Amino acid sequence: SAMAGNANTSNLLMVSGERLTGESVRHQNVVAAASIANIVKTSLGPVGLDKMLVDDVGDVTITNDGATILKLLEVEHPAAKILVELAQLQDEEVGDGTTSVVLVAAELLKNAEELMSLKIHPTTIISGYRLACREAVKFINERLVISVDDLARDNIVNAAKTSMSSKIIGCDAELFAAMAVDAAMAVRVADGKGGHRYPIKAVNVLKAHGGSTRDSVLINGYALNCTVGSVQMPKRITNAKIACLDFSLQKSKMKLGVQLVIETPEQLELMRARESDLTKERVQKIMASGANVILTTGSIDDLCMKYFVEAGAMAVRRCKKIDLKRIAKATGGQFVVSMTNLEGEESFDASLLGQAECVAQERISDDELIVIRGPKARSAASIVLRGANDFYCDEMERSVHDALCVVKRVLEGRQLVPGGGAVEVALNIYLENYATSLASREQMAIAEFARALLCVPKQLAVNAAQDSTELLAQLRARHNASQVKKDCAAYKWFGLDLQEGKVRDNKEAGVLEPAVSKIKSLKFATEAAITILRIDDQIKLTPEAPPSHGGH
Amino acid sequence: MSGGTPVIVLNQNTKREQGRKVQLTNIQSAKTVADVIRTCLGPQAMLKMLMDPMGGIVMTNDGNAILREITVQHPAAKSMIEIARTQDEEVGDGTTSVIILAGEILAVSTAFLEQSIHPTIIITAYRQALEDMLEMASSRYSVDVDTNDTDKMHELIRTCLGTRVHTQWNQVACRIALDAVRTVHKERGSDGQAQEIDIKRYARIEKIPGGSIEDSCVLDGIMINKDVVHPQMRRRIANPRIVLLDCDLEYKKGESQTNVEIRQEEDFTRLLQLEEEYIKTVCQAVLAVKPDLVITEKGVSDLAQHYLVKAGVSVLRRLRRTDQWRVARAIGATIVNRPDELKEEDIGTGCGLFEVRKIGDEYYSYLVQCRNPKACTIVLRGPSKDILNEMDRSLNDALNVARNIVLKPKLCPGGGAFEMAIAHAVSEKGKALTTVHQGPYRALAAALEVIPRTLIQNCGANVIRTLTALRAKHAGTEPEDWMWGVDGETGKLRHMKADGIWEPLSVKNQVLKTATETAILLLRIDDIVSGTKKGGVEGAAAAAKAAANEAAQPAAGGDE
Repeated sequence: SAMAGNANTSNLLMVSGERLTGESVRHQNVVAAASIANIVKTSLGPVGLDKMLVDDVGDVTITNDGATILKLLEVEHPAAKILVELAQLQDEEVGDGTTSVVLVAAELLKNAEELMSLKIHPTTIISGYRLACREAVKFINERLVISVDDLARDNIVNAAKTSMSSKIIGCDAELFAAMAVDAAMAVRVADGKGGHRYPIKAVNVLKAHGGSTRDSVLINGYALNCTVGSVQMPKRITNAKIACLDFSLQKSKMKLGVQLVIETPEQLELMRARESDLTKERVQKIMASGANVILTTGSIDDLCMKYFVEAGAMAVRRCKKIDLKRIAKATGGQFVVSMTNLEGEESFDASLLGQAECVAQERISDDELIVIRGPKARSAASIVLRGANDFYCDEMERSVHDALCVVKRVLEGRQLVPGGGAVEVALNIYLENYATSLASREQMAIAEFARALLCVPKQLAVNAAQDSTELLAQLRARHNASQVKKDCAAYKWFGLDLQEGKVRDNKEAGVLEPAVSKIKSLKFATEAAITILRIDDQIKLTPEAPPSHGGH
Repeated sequence: MSGGTPVIVLNQNTKREQGRKVQLTNIQSAKTVADVIRTCLGPQAMLKMLMDPMGGIVMTNDGNAILREITVQHPAAKSMIEIARTQDEEVGDGTTSVIILAGEILAVSTAFLEQSIHPTIIITAYRQALEDMLEMASSRYSVDVDTNDTDKMHELIRTCLGTRVHTQWNQVACRIALDAVRTVHKERGSDGQAQEIDIKRYARIEKIPGGSIEDSCVLDGIMINKDVVHPQMRRRIANPRIVLLDCDLEYKKGESQTNVEIRQEEDFTRLLQLEEEYIKTVCQAVLAVKPDLVITEKGVSDLAQHYLVKAGVSVLRRLRRTDQWRVARAIGATIVNRPDELKEEDIGTGCGLFEVRKIGDEYYSYLVQCRNPKACTIVLRGPSKDILNEMDRSLNDALNVARNIVLKPKLCPGGGAFEMAIAHAVSEKGKALTTVHQGPYRALAAALEVIPRTLIQNCGANVIRTLTALRAKHAGTEPEDWMWGVDGETGKLRHMKADGIWEPLSVKNQVLKTATETAILLLRIDDIVSGTKKGGVEGAAAAAKAAANEAAQPAAGGDE
């Protein structure tokens, strides 16, 4: 339609919109990536600070987590969006290190642009980056990992502490790291191949403002954010037999479409009476099986409350389905969807009940929780976080989540690497030497990759207001020695000590990160950078007019 | 190659502030909030009159109540207002102190930020100081109290109420608060049931305008703002047998949808008859247990009223559920849903007297002289609605104080003595620190002096002179020197133990914790981005939930 008009490229394409090609689009992408990295970079490391994000309606989020920051920002540029997704990906896959992955990706792009200005073709850079990434991963696996054996709880706690050091709970990392490790151990399940899995999502994290950070507790049991259905019920039951139901205990009514034709008005009355009796019978069947704690996802009619009250049982309505499934698993019971058995009769068998030492309603601040302690089949864990206000608790939750992820990675991967920039610097030295040994056109790209990795330790030092040039020089010297001199091998554990502004043996100091997370973040960053590098043409369509005139 | 169009990365509505400027504006706005309620601390506190957009008036000097009404723009100020709520929900007192202290802690931090000390260092020092303060508070600067000593308890509650409106009211409030708390107090059970004082649920405050303040009291039972449903019903019954229902005493259709097609005229009459018969059977079921009084949450039809009047039973209808709970607990009844299942045990016999009284234009039903009530109504009388509301608020504080003391019987001296003592001790301890943390560590101690300082300011005494004198007292060597504080009315120094001015330690501890942690939260911020996505957090929460759901699927495969 818009054929008339100036004959620029977009019109030749028969689309209305803007088109950018070649150098200008690459440049734009790099600038966009860099500005995303700029946003999150001050939150990196143990002395990084937090950001306060205020949305349109004035709700406040205070956070240090790169993924959360980026998720809340309204990012418009397409290349920048790729980085936002990168952080999201890292968050889902690894759960930690979201800030550094963005930093590395942006730095890789920046260095690539310099190479391109030297007329090196993007495909060469890409293959160089790929090669470098592969070599780096190999190097980490061969030379930098520390294996964790089963008993070294210290190492696991240290890894969790490292992840928390940059967060608001950094001062109390000791407490929370131990909590995270205990929680992860509590939800451990065998994977059937001799190992274990740690589904940390089964750790129930609850928040209640009030108290102080250090009043946060790990409950060896499952905490539900519900209260008993009627105040006349007992608040505490020992030797609990728990029924987890997924149906409402309400007056039954006929399903839609079901019709009953009756002849006399008396029958109508009978129907009415039957409605309430049906539910009563159900309740009686459940009680007859010996249940004394009834948890349901649906509602419970007042009608039924009395039966429970009289039997001295606890009934809780409107529990979350997911919670009940987990409770059923933990207590060795079953999540009952319907009482109808194969014969079409309604029945409730005692074997469906889960067991726990004690179920109690406990008060925290102004809220009340149902806590199931000592479940029979397997242990469970809930963490109740306390803090000055809701913003504080939210940020604590994010930090604890990161720590739990780290613990899971360590326990499942059983491999650690030193933190505080040690890996990045070691890789930098290694890759530079590797590049020099390579007689192909990828050499420069690999060298640039090596250089890009330094952005992490550099930013760590900058955030701590330390002399990054000096510190990096020291660190590189150490790592170079470790790689070329036989007797200096122990130098490879050296990383930054940001409080003192020195380099130190981070393995000794307990600054550790899971190897999986380092490797993954390296791979993700490389892939994201490559994705953006491959772009040489960007077409931005002008938004279609609102379809007031109908389609075609 | 640049020089083209600028690259737009973020939405252009996004505003961003960074660095030192953010830290300073955060501190500034926190201080502003603190300044608003600074004059509400201590016995010489002034009331604030707040007008809401609807033209309503709130008159109060309760920190939380004031802040709840204020709308603030700055996110840091919001964070401050939140902490008043936290404090209120956790211990129900000390809302003003927590805001003032948090503001002061942030204010003293400015100096360190300007000296370019990194916030993380300040924070570490604060955290350490907080731990030390809490430890000192419970080990050295508090005393145990005997909760069974009624006079002493009244005295205690009175100090905490020192700032409230009427002095005559104070006496009454103390008595009421303690009585109410003792009524609803459930001791630690033998089965390990935790001890419980649930004021919110079991002690209800009813306000009746008129009468004098001294007429306010705690009932040994429940009062409900209802009259019996039928004028011929008895309005005074001694030792009533009471049935509690939460069902209708009227005909209610079934749950399933019904269509009625009638072919014969008699059938229609029969239908109507059936409804009447139903009511009759229900009433007969109720009457079978020989009650004197029936209380239901739902409605009672005219026909049912007729049957019940005839049998000489009084009826109260449409009670709030929470009222019904209280009644059940006070008289020892079980709430019944199906009248045909009424049993002798369900009937409440704990009540000594049922009586409907007319006060002003309204009827009130009293269920009093209960044996061992465990739930109660507090009746407040006063000249006007605004005064009643203010009485209500201050009584709430008193109730919380009483609860806190009964739950955790540890006290610390009031009048700023506790803060001065802690400040002095922490400051002394800080001298031993050799690292850069020393400055902020001791500054936190100094910030605590804001409480006695504000007390002095509010009563118009000479701040510098009094505070210096107070410091000198605390530097003394006598074992009870740390109990010197400020008389909030005269501005003179007083020995708190000698004068019996105490406050619950749990409140003070919570003030310290919340104020320090808020300061930490705000100091850590170096970047404010506003105009971010709307509902982004909810979206994230939903996503997390979805993910959690997936993970919980049984026998889920690998997790990557």
